[in-house]
Amino acid sequence: MLTMLREAARPTAAHPLWLCGMRPFFIATAAAAVLLMVPWLAFLAAGWPLPPVAGGPFAWHAHELLYGFALASVLGFLLTAVPEFTGTADFAPVTVRRLLLLWLAARMAFWLGGWGGAPLIVLSGLLHLALIGALAALAAPRLWADPQRQHLSFLWTLLALGICEAGFHVELLAGTATPLRWLYVSVGVYMVLVVVALSRISMRIVNQALSDAGQATDYLARPPRRNLLIVCIMLYTGAELLLPGSRLSGWLALATGAAVFQLMNDWHVGRVLLTRWPLMLYAIYVCMGLGYVCMGLGLLTPLGSFPGGRHLLTAGALGLAMLGAMSIAGRAHCGRTPDERAWLPLAALGLFLAAGVRAAAGWLLTDTMEAWLLAGVLWCGVFALYLRHLAPVLLTRRRDGRHGCHGVQEA
Amino acid sequence: MVLLWRWVSGIPAYLWSGWGAVASLCLLLAVWEAVSITLGPLILPDPGATFGALWQLLAGGVAARELLLTGQRAMTGLLLAMVLGSSAGLLAGLSMTAAMMARPLVTVLLGTPPIAWLVLAMLWFGANDGTPVFTAFIACFPVIFVGALQGTRTLDHHLKDMAAMFRLPWHMRLTDLYGPHVLSYLFPAWINALGTAWKVAVMAELLASADGVGAALAIARSQLDMPVTLAWVGAVVLTLLLVEYLLLEPLKREVERWREVQA
Repeated sequence: MLTMLREAARPTAAHPLWLCGMRPFFIATAAAAVLLMVPWLAFLAAGWPLPPVAGGPFAWHAHELLYGFALASVLGFLLTAVPEFTGTADFAPVTVRRLLLLWLAARMAFWLGGWGGAPLIVLSGLLHLALIGALAALAAPRLWADPQRQHLSFLWTLLALGICEAGFHVELLAGTATPLRWLYVSVGVYMVLVVVALSRISMRIVNQALSDAGQATDYLARPPRRNLLIVCIMLYTGAELLLPGSRLSGWLALATGAAVFQLMNDWHVGRVLLTRWPLMLYAIYVCMGLGYVCMGLGLLTPLGSFPGGRHLLTAGALGLAMLGAMSIAGRAHCGRTPDERAWLPLAALGLFLAAGVRAAAGWLLTDTMEAWLLAGVLWCGVFALYLRHLAPVLLTRRRDGRHGCHGVQEA
Repeated sequence: MVLLWRWVSGIPAYLWSGWGAVASLCLLLAVWEAVSITLGPLILPDPGATFGALWQLLAGGVAARELLLTGQRAMTGLLLAMVLGSSAGLLAGLSMTAAMMARPLVTVLLGTPPIAWLVLAMLWFGANDGTPVFTAFIACFPVIFVGALQGTRTLDHHLKDMAAMFRLPWHMRLTDLYGPHVLSYLFPAWINALGTAWKVAVMAELLASADGVGAALAIARSQLDMPVTLAWVGAVVLTLLLVEYLLLEPLKREVERWREVQA
């Protein structure tokens, strides 16, 4: 694998890594998942120093997992999904390389922000905005040109992420005590993105599973249920920004949890739900629903754990969504059939457990440090497994002789 | 037995389908919380304080006692209306003349506000059980009567002729032809009447009784105790929601299943 990575580092447009936008970004996502978690665990367990970013260690942890790990996955997903959804040409390898460089530069600028002071915070903010803005600018004309314009929600969520990044960096510069609130809003935006993206992915995956099982029933991701959930997420996120820790946001969190559970009604299509792909995607909503309920109960009662609920959203729902999307698209757009090996359900289970253990830490599990470490180790293991099994696919040529991001050729 | 098993096995899916309603109710509670923050707890206590007061009422057994009393009165009035309203409606539906004659009477009954009946009931029965029972009965009667009347009038004549031609036994005509059709009109009427009976009984108690939920509401109002007032309102609404969604709605779906099969 090291040889393959060394080859990929050579900036030749001909290398398979640049065949499709998702390839470098999915590798970057999985690598970031491990490389960002290890220092955090070392900091928690042994007090090892973290980059002294403005905002402190928690800002580093939250920002890097949201805009280092998760944003890389979103970049990879949209660079592949936008051409597919709109029936347009793949993005050029040079564009993908520039975006990757921008992503790396943004990481460096943020990490060095503590040493460089205000100029580097400004630079970090500008680089992040340039990265999100560039992706939005690349996607917008294609999404707009689509006659039905049914995928514009991706554009709105990108713009919302840009606003959150701007708000976060402005508060860092101003030295306020609340820059993290913009990262909490980002979690809400990511949840909307997950719901929107999953409605597209699930229609294909669940209906394929139903068809494989010989069932005549159709799965339909119903817009009214999805819209109710998105409205609830937006209301809760807005309340958390303006009235953090209030009972009002507690009720809205409970409403959002209930809206997630009502969306899950669509998924109750019989035994097919228990097969690997539908179950893995269903688990995303389980984590999301439990996360919001946990946060709501934490705000309204002595039960539940607010930070635990937040980690069910991030490590659970977001982590599983990233793993699912990267596993499905990572193989399909390299011309490979879906992965049927045992590592994938194990990885999904590991992530589910990691989120569960992290949510229970300090609440149901009294030994908080051990629970944090266990959750972190599980998280790292899951994405190391992804790299072990998917990196060879993402770094090599397609076996079907095709180029770009084309899906599996129909027999 | 089959009906019971189908009802029991359908409970998990039915309950899960209620999450949308839970989401709406939580949004309503959020709006309530927001209004309470804006107006202050003297005007509108927050949901937490209200649920705290409700919990106190439940834990002390006061809520159960008063709810039971109000429930008994409302159910007696409703039951009377169901028996008399359904029978009268079915009989009136059998004859075109009777249906024609009944229509203006029903309009008069529906048009008379329950508060007017309450005043009359207070004069007739005084401050005892008779007042809320009668008011609930008279408010529910026309609703059920109209349901039964429509159910009978809309029976398919072709099906009746066919049943007669094939000499269908009377019990089969009742269970397979008349019963399902009439019930599909009667059931929604009964559910509407249940809500009406419950609300009207509370209102009657508020003005004319020394006990029951309505009387408890009147006491809370006179003491300007907003959390307890809202707790009683919450108890009334919650009881109605539980009875309707856990008992009547599943039964209604079961009774009306033949419509889906036909569609």
